[in-house]
Amino acid sequence: MVKQMIKQFCVVLLLALMGLSSTWAASNSTGALTLKGKMKVGVTLHPYYSFVSNIVGDRAEVIALIDAESNPHNYQPQPNDMKRAMTMDTLVVNGIGHDEWAFEIIKAAGRKDNLPLIYANASVALIPISGDQGNAKIVNPHTFVSTTAAIQQIFEIARRLGELDPVNAGYYRSNASAYAARIRRLRADFMTRFAKLDLSAFRSATMHAGYDYLMQEFGLKISAVIEPRHGVTPTARQLANTIDAIKKADVRVLFAEKYFANGLSKPIEAATGVKMYSLSHISGGAYTADKFEVEMKENLDTLAEAIDYTAHHPKGN
Amino acid sequence: MGSGQGHAMSVNVDIGTSPRTQIILPSSGRLESIVFFLATFLLVATTAAYVLLKPKQEGPPPLLDWQVSSFDGLSSVDQAIHSALLSAADEIIWANNDTGRWPSIAELQDTLLPPFYEDNFWQVNGEVKWQVIMPGANKTGEAAPPPPPKTNNGLASFVAPNAVYQGTLGQGTASYYGSGGTAPGQSAYLIVIGHAHSGVYWINQATLWIHKNPNAPFPDILKPEGLVARGWRQIIPYNGASEVERVKGNG
Repeated sequence: MVKQMIKQFCVVLLLALMGLSSTWAASNSTGALTLKGKMKVGVTLHPYYSFVSNIVGDRAEVIALIDAESNPHNYQPQPNDMKRAMTMDTLVVNGIGHDEWAFEIIKAAGRKDNLPLIYANASVALIPISGDQGNAKIVNPHTFVSTTAAIQQIFEIARRLGELDPVNAGYYRSNASAYAARIRRLRADFMTRFAKLDLSAFRSATMHAGYDYLMQEFGLKISAVIEPRHGVTPTARQLANTIDAIKKADVRVLFAEKYFANGLSKPIEAATGVKMYSLSHISGGAYTADKFEVEMKENLDTLAEAIDYTAHHPKGN
Repeated sequence: MGSGQGHAMSVNVDIGTSPRTQIILPSSGRLESIVFFLATFLLVATTAAYVLLKPKQEGPPPLLDWQVSSFDGLSSVDQAIHSALLSAADEIIWANNDTGRWPSIAELQDTLLPPFYEDNFWQVNGEVKWQVIMPGANKTGEAAPPPPPKTNNGLASFVAPNAVYQGTLGQGTASYYGSGGTAPGQSAYLIVIGHAHSGVYWINQATLWIHKNPNAPFPDILKPEGLVARGWRQIIPYNGASEVERVKGNG
């Protein structure tokens, strides 16, 4: 019993010392960190793991704040998250509604006042969630499911990392530019696939309000979003209204979630005759440097299929 | 009988004494009342002071009448082009830092950069025609022309044929101007990049402007007051920083 208490005391002491050492690494008067070795960059979401990994190369360590298989939509902070938060020199956050749990973790870890945050979306122009939101304009936080807004976040992250680690600022910016060029090539390749197709018949609905930025950058329209709020299942009345809206807007395709199963997509498909496709929210599976590019390419392939379907299957066929 | 006797005695005593009121003070000499009053006053005063002096959790500053929010003040076409322009402006500034000159529209298209790259996005969003206007130049990519001759008509004829020259000369300002779009709700667009210095590529130097006439001419002056007078409105990006400020305050 006594041994166990001593052990627990030692763990607490160790965590406190780790927190203290992180405090020592806090920023100096110029905003740059005083680093002993590689900078440890924390991230909250999968796309940010990819972004930061590609920006920093081997000159910094990337640490995911939460476990890979966690659902970032309704996440409950765990003790291990706090341990990780204590070791970071900085943390990259979405900051506009997709990772509010990160702020709870930071506070619980005692890093609220000494962990420099990088708000990836600081300079990204935000747009409202599509569809009927009761006349309310609600900020869509899914800026990372896109190419143009993703590139903007990559530049913002690179800029802030350069401020915190000025020695490597040029390296980070150069990597960011090369990474952005690859993502832009992905976008251009996709564009050439349907450059000749007629997009006037393209009307889509999405289960989750995660794809507004993606659709906007390709000039595609989302007519309805099934979830009334981010991560909230619709009531029977809301669902009936949405099905009416889908029919009235002549929606042809419905995009469901690849990672987050929702039992409503099949009934909606049956009730409206829309064809269903699945898009990735880029928020599941292992953290990897190429995850964003791999899953965004899959998304663009899926989108191209859906466009091809609407172009070759006019209403009634 | 006992109690009846007691009552009678009490009455007799009352009748027998003069009708005067005797105030009996508490043993603490009204200290409780004073303490209670002071505590109440202190509580009210503290609450009032807190309410009055508490730093307000203010969101982003309200827009001026010549500004428009990118979040809820633009048509869907304008919003899409603005989102692309905002990102493009950063890259244009970076390119200027790397090469010492402003990238041409053709170069921007070569790098597949929206909204300049003529892809589906460009088609759906009105096929806007873009020009880069160099400082002191009157055409895309040209060096500064000689000053135009003055005529008897004075300033009006001086400005009209050389509006671009006037708009950029001496201001150290480069701009990217988009007009002629054909989509419903389309505007004309302007990126104004002011007085860039080498090595300051991290500073956001670009402002974005919009004119409700998609064929609005290039303005003869690029200073904010001049643009406003000619019907241009500055787009204020509602970005992540604005949203954080709205939700969490700026204190």
